[in-house]
This record gives sequence, C-alpha cells and structure tokens, in this order.
Amino acid sequence: MPQTPSHLPQSFRLRSGNQMMAEGALQAGCTFFAGYPITPATGIFKTMIDLLPARGGIALSAPDEISAIAYCIGASMRGYKAMTATSGPGWALMIESVQYALMTETPLVVALVQRLGPSTGGATQGAQGDVLLAEYCTSGGYTLPVLCPTNARECYELTILAFTWSELLRIPVILLSDKETGMTIESINDTSLSRSTSQNRPANFAFRDLGSYNRSDRRGTYYFDVPHEIPPFAPVGGDRKVTATGSAHDKQGRLQKNSTETLDVLKHLEQKIHWRLDDFVSVVSDLQPSATTLVVSYGVTARAAQSAVIQARNTGERISLLVIHSLFPIPVKKLTHALQGVDTVLVAEENISGLYRSVLERYCKGKKVRGVNKIGSMITPEEILVALFEEPWQPA
Amino acid sequence: MATGVTSVLPIHSTYLVDEPRFPFCKGCGHTSVLRRLNEALVELQIPPHRLALVTDIGCIGLADGLFKELHTVHTTHGRSTAFATGIALADSVLDKGSLKTVVLIGDGGAMIGLQHLVHAAVLNVDVTVIICDNFVYGMTGGQGSSVTPECFVTATTPAGNIVPPIDLCAILKASHAPFVARTLATDPTFPQLLQQAIAWEGFAVIEVLELCTEFAVPANNLDGRKLRDIADRNGWTLGVLADRKDRSTFVERWKEGVVKGNGGQVPGDEILRPVGKVPMLKHAKSVILAGSAGERVQSSAGLVCGAAIAGGLFVSQKNDNPVTQGSGFSVSELWFSPEEIVFTGIQRPDIVLITSSDGLKDVLSRSFLDRLDSSSVIYVDDSLPMQETKGIVHRFPFRRVLGAREAALGALVFAAVRQHLVSPEGLQEFLRKHYRGNVDELFARVDCLQETRTEVRA
Repeated sequence: MPQTPSHLPQSFRLRSGNQMMAEGALQAGCTFFAGYPITPATGIFKTMIDLLPARGGIALSAPDEISAIAYCIGASMRGYKAMTATSGPGWALMIESVQYALMTETPLVVALVQRLGPSTGGATQGAQGDVLLAEYCTSGGYTLPVLCPTNARECYELTILAFTWSELLRIPVILLSDKETGMTIESINDTSLSRSTSQNRPANFAFRDLGSYNRSDRRGTYYFDVPHEIPPFAPVGGDRKVTATGSAHDKQGRLQKNSTETLDVLKHLEQKIHWRLDDFVSVVSDLQPSATTLVVSYGVTARAAQSAVIQARNTGERISLLVIHSLFPIPVKKLTHALQGVDTVLVAEENISGLYRSVLERYCKGKKVRGVNKIGSMITPEEILVALFEEPWQPA
Repeated sequence: MATGVTSVLPIHSTYLVDEPRFPFCKGCGHTSVLRRLNEALVELQIPPHRLALVTDIGCIGLADGLFKELHTVHTTHGRSTAFATGIALADSVLDKGSLKTVVLIGDGGAMIGLQHLVHAAVLNVDVTVIICDNFVYGMTGGQGSSVTPECFVTATTPAGNIVPPIDLCAILKASHAPFVARTLATDPTFPQLLQQAIAWEGFAVIEVLELCTEFAVPANNLDGRKLRDIADRNGWTLGVLADRKDRSTFVERWKEGVVKGNGGQVPGDEILRPVGKVPMLKHAKSVILAGSAGERVQSSAGLVCGAAIAGGLFVSQKNDNPVTQGSGFSVSELWFSPEEIVFTGIQRPDIVLITSSDGLKDVLSRSFLDRLDSSSVIYVDDSLPMQETKGIVHRFPFRRVLGAREAALGALVFAAVRQHLVSPEGLQEFLRKHYRGNVDELFARVDCLQETRTEVRA
C-alpha cells in the first residue's frame, strides 16, 4: 500500500540501498566489517567505515577481497558478527573462503552488489547476472541462502534477516543486490524501519528448541544428534575447545576420509537449511483470483514488474505477481501456491539467458514459461507489458 | 602477557595429546618443529584455551590433531595468516585481547598467501607465524616452490631449479614486521626464538629451514648437515633479523585513531520531516539532470530531493557516471511523486536539464530526446547545439550566469520551482540549512536567469 507522507509525525531520510545495508548490519549487531573497494558495492564499505568504529566495532580496509572475507570469518570464529561487501570480480576471489565458512559452519553475511559481467564487465552498469554464481559457488552445490532486496528499505530489512539466518543456521548468507538497488538514493520512511534490539552473539549459543546447551567439550565443535540440528557455537578463544576445519571432518572436527560420520556431517550442511525451509521463506505474493498469468521477478526488476502489473490491472487484466526475496533455497511452497490456476509464467530478470527462470522451470511442469531478459540497462515496465501481451503495449 | 598468569594456574606439562603420533616421514623437520613449539608453550605456560593454532594446507597443517586443548583452526591453502589476522583483530579490539594466535604454514602457503603475511606485518596484529620452509611441496610429491634454491632438483625442476628463491624474511622485514627471525629446525637456539616470537606483543615471524626427507634429500644428495650450507649459499642470515620495539600494535593505533575519527556520522544523513500537509504535485514527475563530473550534478540533485521530501513528496535519485569519478558525464535521474515510487527508471522524462556538453552527449547516447512528446520540457545551456525533438526546448545561459560550479544546482532550482516540484520558500529554507554556498546569491542569479531567458522552439 502506498504510504502518504502527510500522516505526521513521520520522518524521512534520503538514503541509498548500500547505506541502508550498512545500517541494517549495525541494527543486526554486526561489529566487524572488512572490505575492499569495488563499484558498485563501495558505498556499504564506506558507510561501515563512517559508522562502525564510533560504535565500538571495527571496519577496516583489507589489501584484497580474499583477505577481506578471511578477516571476517576469523572475527566470526572469535565470536563477533561480521560482514563484507563486494561485486562480481571480488566475489570471484571470495568464493574459496565462502566455502570455508560453509564447511566450518561459521556465520557470515556477504553483500554481492551485482554489476555487468563477465570478468570486470561494466563497473557502473547494473545487472542480475550473478544469481546462479552466488548460489552454486560451492564444490558439491550446497545450498547457500540468498536474499535479494528490491529497494533501499528492503536492503535494511533483508540485511537484518540475513544476519538472523546466518547466526541461527551457522552459515554464510548472501545478500544479492545490484548497482541500481545499491546506488539509487530514495526517500526512506525512517519511522517504519524495524528497530528491534540487536545483540552480540552469545558464547555457546544454540537454538532454544534443540535443548542441551551444557555439552562437555568432548562432544565436539560440530556435534549434532539429528542431522538438521545446529551445533552450538563456541568461539575460538573461549573456554570450550574449538576444532575448526575446512576439510571433511567428523563431529569433533577431526579430519576423516569417507567415514559414515563424515558423510553425515556433509549431509547435515544441507539438511540443516532444508529442514527450516518454510521459516526461511520471504516473498511478496500479490495474487489475483482467476488470473491465468503469473509474473515472477526479484531485485531491481521486481519494481518494473510491479509497475507493469499495476498498469495492466488498471485496464482490467487479471495478473498475479510473485516477488521473491529469498531466492535460495527456492520457496517451493509459495511458488506452487502462486502457480495454482495459472497457465503462463513470465520471469523478468536482467540477464541474457534467464538464470533464475532456468531454476524455476522445474517447478512449473505443464505451464508455459517465458522470460523477459535484457542486459545493459534496467528492464522497463513497458518491456514486461509487451512480453505479457506479446504485442506493443498501448496504455488505455 | 601470557607469562604473567603462571602463578595462579596449574602447571601445563605438555600441550600435546597423550602418546602423540606424528604423521610425518622419518627424519622430517616438522616433528622437531612441533616438539619445540610444545616446549615453548610449556615454558610460557599459556592457558590452552587462550591460544589458537591456525594451520595451513600441506604436511605441517596436520599439526592440529596433535594438540589436546588448544583451539585449532585448519584453513585453506595460504589463507591461514588472514584467518588468524581476523581472529586477532576481533580479539584485540572487540574482546579482552587475551588470545595468542599462532600460524603454522609451509613455504608453498607462505607464497600463495604472501599478501596476507605482508598485511599482518603492516597491521602489526598479535599473530606469530611459523613458516616451515623445506623448499618443496611435500604433500603433493615434492614440486618446487618459490623458495626452492637455484639448481635444486624437484619433481617440477628435474634438471635443477633455474630461478632464484625469494627471501621471505627480507619481504616481511620491508613490510615493517617488528620481529623477524630465521633458523634451522635443528638449531639449538630455535626453542628460545620460538618463545620470544610467541610472547611478542604483535606480529612475529620465524622462518624455519628444514629438509624434506622424502623428496629434497634423495633428489639432491643431501643430509641434515648440509642445511646450513644451503642457507649460507643463498645469503640467508640466521638469527634475529628484526627486533623493533618502536612499533605500536594495531590495537594501540586503532584506539588512538577511533578517538580522532569522524564521530560516526555519514555525510548528508539528515532526518527530514514533511512540513506541508498537501504536496505541491498531484502526479509523479521525472527529471533528467545531465552535466559534467566535478560540477556537483549528483549532490545538487540530492539537495533538491531533500527539499522535495520536506515538501511532502517521495523521491528517487538514480545516478550514472563513467567508471572514472572526476571526468566525463554525470547524470541524475529523478522522480518526484506524491505516492511511493515503484519503478525508478525513466523512459519519457517530463523535464530534461542539460548543463554541459558531456551531459548532452550522454542524453543523446541514451536516446532520451527521441522519446519525448509535446508535454516534455527541455532546459538546455544556450552554448549547446540542440537537435530536433518533440519536446519544448528552452535555452538559458546557465553556465555564463551561474558558473560551472553552480550551473547544475541553479538549473535544477530554476526548473524545480518553475515546474512546481517544490515551493520556492521551502527550497530556499532547505538550502539555507544544507547548502554550503551562498543561497541568496544563488537565488539572485537564478532570478537573473528568468530575466535573460531566450525561448526557442527547436
């Protein structure tokens, strides 16, 4: 629902998505940020440099992206919530260490602000071309949570959510933004932002519903009773011995080759997130009864999709819209619900081949699935309307 | 620090597991290094949960399973020093600074992660790095590394190494490492050096020269006594190479720096409260402001957007510029709307402002002018050539009257008032609070613009 600013008292600020991501991180209790400059992600780094040290945290420059993410993982292992931010070329360098965080079950938030690729591509051109590079960056194709904001306010809210899930699941979470979402400055209704109290990560913290906090050291750094259980976190340097390793290991963190327990630990990395799939989902379902077309989009293109759907509905068309924030794991239940009664699915995203569409298609059996794709500039509402009606769009 | 607490803690007679089985080849220096490390820890009586042993990939990385109560972090190849730096940074600045962090890395890891060693030295974090340099990659079959001596036979240099080895200690000394030492695994002074390095408050590195008995020894007809000759021949001085007490640690410098910092403010972050209950605009309007980098295009757009928020509108500002920051075009695409803005792109702008030839070039390259209709208004600096367009073109001497520094702001102020995006009083009040320049003079010049305008239909 559009809000009107005339309902006083309200206060607004002009902020970019990058700045709001930094603010969301602070709100979530992030105390450590290491970064390396790269357009279009630098604004997150710079805002952290401006805000974090004065609030008792650390924000510092690393000499390269590999160091930046490694410093964050080290700080997280020591017990402090950590974040870094980069774009495609820097992400390529960080992938090794993202896998290390996944394997060592180290909480971490990485903002990936997409620009035009491949290679150094276009530094000041937006794109949505890293969606599968973000998700499938691990050997073994393990699920990494990927959250994708569509505007500056969501940059704030989803960063908080990213920290929440990163901490609860002991997993790196990717915040997938893009040049336009990150660098466009918008009026933010400051009054409407969540201000729930943030906290530092407690030592020996575990899910309340999982019981037993008072395990002895002997049960190990990666101990779980059931595969979806999250091993209680203990900081390196705390009173409980930590045995962390990026190599295949047993529940105690001992290097093992193909023991049943080691394979169980690897499966657990996947099971711990899929068991909580329904809790993790974040989508905006704007469905219309008797609509036969569903528009699916995410990130900056979701705004064009929303605008197109509004225009089409104004002329009496019935169209459903699904904006997905939690791109991965795929919100299957919400998607299946949105697909009911629909015969055509239109997936709009700013890349050549329809990257996310290629993943969604397997859930759209029997439907006609089409894409609106483009590179170099934002997809416009008009282009989505043309694709919807397969003819030039004439506003009524 | 660690030695100061010995009197209140039980004596640690060993840090190794019971009956340790060292997984290294017969005669390998790594066993000796780990025994000496254990002895140094016993000597220092470091509480076991106050030491993090961070290990790299390679044979020496198998050390973590040998220590009983120490925290161990086994990492990816070459990155051990970087993970250790993160642990030490967080420990010293965010925590009590009670943790010692020790890295075990080979010569291969030291080279692949050289920038991490250099930066840890520069930062002067409390990390001790023990480089176990046996001149080859042992775990993968004895391939040559960047520290392999010339003429050395390895799996990848079967005819002898033809390139000189790097001097890791010299590199780290040049990177301001406050404590640098080189020794032989068998040298009687090694245990003393280890104690000194671990106890050091800040970055310390020891390069331990060893022989890989499986690969280096048989291929080069070596024995343990020849290790010193290799060091001599390569000019690798043994002993303490840097002992700089003058360097402050990172945490000391950090605490000074934060006090002197900017106080945790982000420039331009202001709370804006809408003052008027009824916004001036009934429908959303889009504006393209196109000028040159360095002429404050985007900051001017930000100022007028702020004033529009104060006037009760929603705004968005999408900026564009080339990869360079200070040359070429600078463009802001703006929306002013009484309702929340959904799509921030602009297809057919309502208002186009062009204040320089760089701006004009960008507007033309993106075909904005081709998409205009008769309701679109273009305000263009009168020095610029204009092509045919369906929009209404107004030429003004923005640059002549306002100067390059204020042409963009003046043009936007002029257009925003004229097109009723903001009230002149509201804009003036807002600029007085947020603009560093002379607002009265700016408005006087903008008024002057109105008087000298030359309206031409293209």
